[in-house]
Amino acid sequence: MDINLISAQIKEELDKIVSCDQLEALRLKYLGRKGVIAELTGSIPAVNPQERGAFGKAVNALKQQLFVSLEEKQRSLGVSKAPAPESAETDLGMPGIAQELGHKHPITGIIDQVCGIFSQMGFKVLEGPEIETEHNNFTGLNIPLEHPSRDAFDTFYLKDYEKLLLRSHTSPMQVRAMAKSKPPLAIVVPGRVYRPDAVDASHLFMFHQIEGLMVDQGVKFSDLKGVLEVFVKAVFGKDVAMRFRPHFFPFTEPSVEVDISCIICKGKGCSVCGRKGWLEILGAGLVHPNVFQQAGYDAKKFSGFAFGMGVERIAMLKYGINDIRLFFENDLRFLKQF
Amino acid sequence: MIVTYNWLQDFVDIRLSPEQLADKLTLAGLEVVSCKHIGGDVVFEIEITSNRPDWLSVYGVAREVAAITGEKLKLGDRCSVLGTRAKHPAPSTKNLITIQDKKDCPYYSYRIIRNLQIKPSAADIARRLELANLRSVNCVVDLTNYLLFETGQPMHAFDLDKLSLEQGIIVRRATQKEKLVTIDGIERQLNPDILVIADNLKPLAIAGVMGGKDTEVTSATKNILLETAVFDSILVRRMRQKLALQSEAAYRFERGVDLAATPRVSLECASLIAKCSNGKLAEFKESGSKKIADRYVTLETDLVNRALGIQITAKECKSILTALGFTVKNKSASLQVKIPSFRQDVKKEVDLIEEVARIYGFDRILSSLPKISPQQASVLDLTAYLKEILFALGLNETITYSLIDKASLTKLKINLTPVEIRNPLSKEQEILRPTILTGLLNCVAHNLNQKQNQISLFEIAKIFHADDRANPVEQPVLGIALCGERTLLLDQGVVKDVFGLLHMKGILETVFSRLGIKGFAITPLTVSKDEFIIQAGAQELGRVFLPADAQLDAFEIKNKKVFLAQLDLTKLFSLAQMEKKFLPAAKYPQITRDMSFIVKDDLAVSRILEAISALGQPLENVKIVDYYRGKQIPKGFRALTISCIYRSNQRTLTEEDVSSIQEKAVRLLVDSFGVKMR
Ligand SMILES: [Zn+2]
Repeated sequence: MDINLISAQIKEELDKIVSCDQLEALRLKYLGRKGVIAELTGSIPAVNPQERGAFGKAVNALKQQLFVSLEEKQRSLGVSKAPAPESAETDLGMPGIAQELGHKHPITGIIDQVCGIFSQMGFKVLEGPEIETEHNNFTGLNIPLEHPSRDAFDTFYLKDYEKLLLRSHTSPMQVRAMAKSKPPLAIVVPGRVYRPDAVDASHLFMFHQIEGLMVDQGVKFSDLKGVLEVFVKAVFGKDVAMRFRPHFFPFTEPSVEVDISCIICKGKGCSVCGRKGWLEILGAGLVHPNVFQQAGYDAKKFSGFAFGMGVERIAMLKYGINDIRLFFENDLRFLKQF
Repeated sequence: MIVTYNWLQDFVDIRLSPEQLADKLTLAGLEVVSCKHIGGDVVFEIEITSNRPDWLSVYGVAREVAAITGEKLKLGDRCSVLGTRAKHPAPSTKNLITIQDKKDCPYYSYRIIRNLQIKPSAADIARRLELANLRSVNCVVDLTNYLLFETGQPMHAFDLDKLSLEQGIIVRRATQKEKLVTIDGIERQLNPDILVIADNLKPLAIAGVMGGKDTEVTSATKNILLETAVFDSILVRRMRQKLALQSEAAYRFERGVDLAATPRVSLECASLIAKCSNGKLAEFKESGSKKIADRYVTLETDLVNRALGIQITAKECKSILTALGFTVKNKSASLQVKIPSFRQDVKKEVDLIEEVARIYGFDRILSSLPKISPQQASVLDLTAYLKEILFALGLNETITYSLIDKASLTKLKINLTPVEIRNPLSKEQEILRPTILTGLLNCVAHNLNQKQNQISLFEIAKIFHADDRANPVEQPVLGIALCGERTLLLDQGVVKDVFGLLHMKGILETVFSRLGIKGFAITPLTVSKDEFIIQAGAQELGRVFLPADAQLDAFEIKNKKVFLAQLDLTKLFSLAQMEKKFLPAAKYPQITRDMSFIVKDDLAVSRILEAISALGQPLENVKIVDYYRGKQIPKGFRALTISCIYRSNQRTLTEEDVSSIQEKAVRLLVDSFGVKMR
């Protein structure tokens, strides 16, 4: 068989092709298991030894040329999904080659997800300083400086700066946001907070919170319930139940702690939920009139709700992480799982 | 707070199982954290929020149970506060109580019980105390504890014969030199911040916190003085904190006890003690006022409905509040609510709304969605964008502590003034970090220890410094750390790509370029080339650091090179130019000419590129496309291939157009830089 002749024939046939089906038929005719190229390859041993080498090379060149031509034709037909030529050289058992991407820290992942949900509902994402005043951290939030209600907020103070501290919660941003703008207000604030807690598997001296605040005319308790329900279902799944338990926070009233049905045992009771079937995930409530008063808002005209959640707690529940210290060890084998 | 099922039944009939009751309490705000069946009774451990001291008693919890279950609160016939019919002689006119400052102690009273015999407690009383985790001591001490739990009123019994009461009881601040051994056997150094109960010789007790060892009731006691008082809650709080001494009494005084109930409880306790020890009630003295002004708060039913998003009638509100011990008068929808003395926490209308909501049931309030007014949109979140760039560059995000120890600054030879913490729990929390590098180095060390050999990390967080004496400065930065190598398994085989300064440069370059920042440059700061300045034009944005082996050693990093960078994000973002402008593709084709040559190692390629670029039109761009050092190249030299791209914006260039300038370029290389063309 004359290779040049075949080559010319292929060119002629290719020029006539107008559809993918035709192209596929041509591919099979030449490159198929019993195609022309296979036939040529099979005939190599029969060629006389002096010409065998040259003939083999020519067959190979024809095959490579055919691959290129098929691909070009495929492209000109405007179809990107080329029927992959079964190249003998690529072993798909080999690892794929790609740019290795870095991983987002799981805390950032949760913050992005939660803030994303609230953003979609119309909340604006803000950040605030980590060094705060006593006023913003306590008194502006209706927490007297000397009162048992402060016990929940053990606080690091700065050495050489009178009355400055590391914020023990993200709630000071409520005070800042209200000082800066008038209602309507709908914000979420993620960030680091600090408390001098002894370190163990569930306590650290630094962790993250996300604060939410909404103030407008006619905002009511049932709205808080609705907004948090959207959040809970988006983060933990549609089947998760949510309940409100009365609680006490100085800056909200009525105050609630929000539980979700245990995502591990589905509410039956397990070690994670302490056999209760419920997991506490955040604190919330209607903004206390004293907070409005301090902010110079008219408590008769405006109402609002606020909520705050621990990011590590949510990440631990969601990912099944049992030691809070893992978040700050930054072991690559940990980070690369997220 | 611990209460038991049977103890509650003294005051309210419960028709629910203990578990059902626990659920109901939890959903009313008294979170039952455990519920244990112990020997015929059920012990509830309840977490009481700091605003509800009235719940720190069996009686207070029973009141709540009655309100939740719709039962009547009944008067206990044995030990209840209200069930007592005891009589006590009227207070004697000669006042033998001196209160130095009524603010510290608004009310103090005592009752004397004489000729008693100290006996063990009745079995059922001892049993209940045991369930409340209190050791039964004797009938006198036990009854004060029993009533503390039942009524929330702390009381203290002194052995009367060990007191020197010539001048009576004195409630005063301690002096600097006084000391007192408390019941727990520990000697306490006192000072004027501490309020004590004293006789004319010595302090007897730390007011509201703990009694003294010397005057405690023992089996030999014949006569007792039973103290019932109210102390200032802030003062008790301060004393407890200063002395690091917690007690059931202090816990309640700090939250506030019901002043109005004290005389009743005191009488009840005294008569029960007298009864169980065959003693006789003798003198009763009191000082201070136990009068509390009546307080009223108005509650509008309409506001309840508007605040909660429910439909409740005035009648329902009234019945809820009445069950909780409020006295309610209503004209139509407006309720006049009289606040009972045990509810000092109720001050405003919103406090009553909360009470209505709690008993109405949060679960009965249906969800709604608020109308949210659109907020002013945030500008493009550059931090999130920057993170995406870094992930794409293969860097993993870390989060490290903002609090660090001072020593780690010394380890890195960093000389900055940090912001110090006044009350760290350990030396790892001494200062707010003035650099992000120590945290990253700890991460590198940890991962090397875990046998990781490709370590590429970043953190975006704040650093802090005290340069400004008036206000500490918070500064957001980006920190990067590279250590080890990446292994690329390519079609042509394995390529080991060891992290070096050029990788750091590549990352920074990409960041600058993606943020649209022009004029990126990285230049050595020191002769030793272990620190480099990152610039955009003339402005410094950060530094690259190559810590010396000794410094790395201090972080437990051995035989490794680590490349660090820290960038000021405020400056970086201020230069970001995210507006894009489309440039059409060049109209005429380019001609590319490569030049390969060998050049001395110490000749900076930037000089070569600058010199060739200066040749100008039609040269459009010059870049390095290949680089080699090693076999076939003499020591001290390297091989470079430079690509020159020629293009005109007026016409298609011809070979002739290019060859003359290309020749010039070659001559320039040979003449000015002494290269050897290959
Ligand atoms: Zn569970």
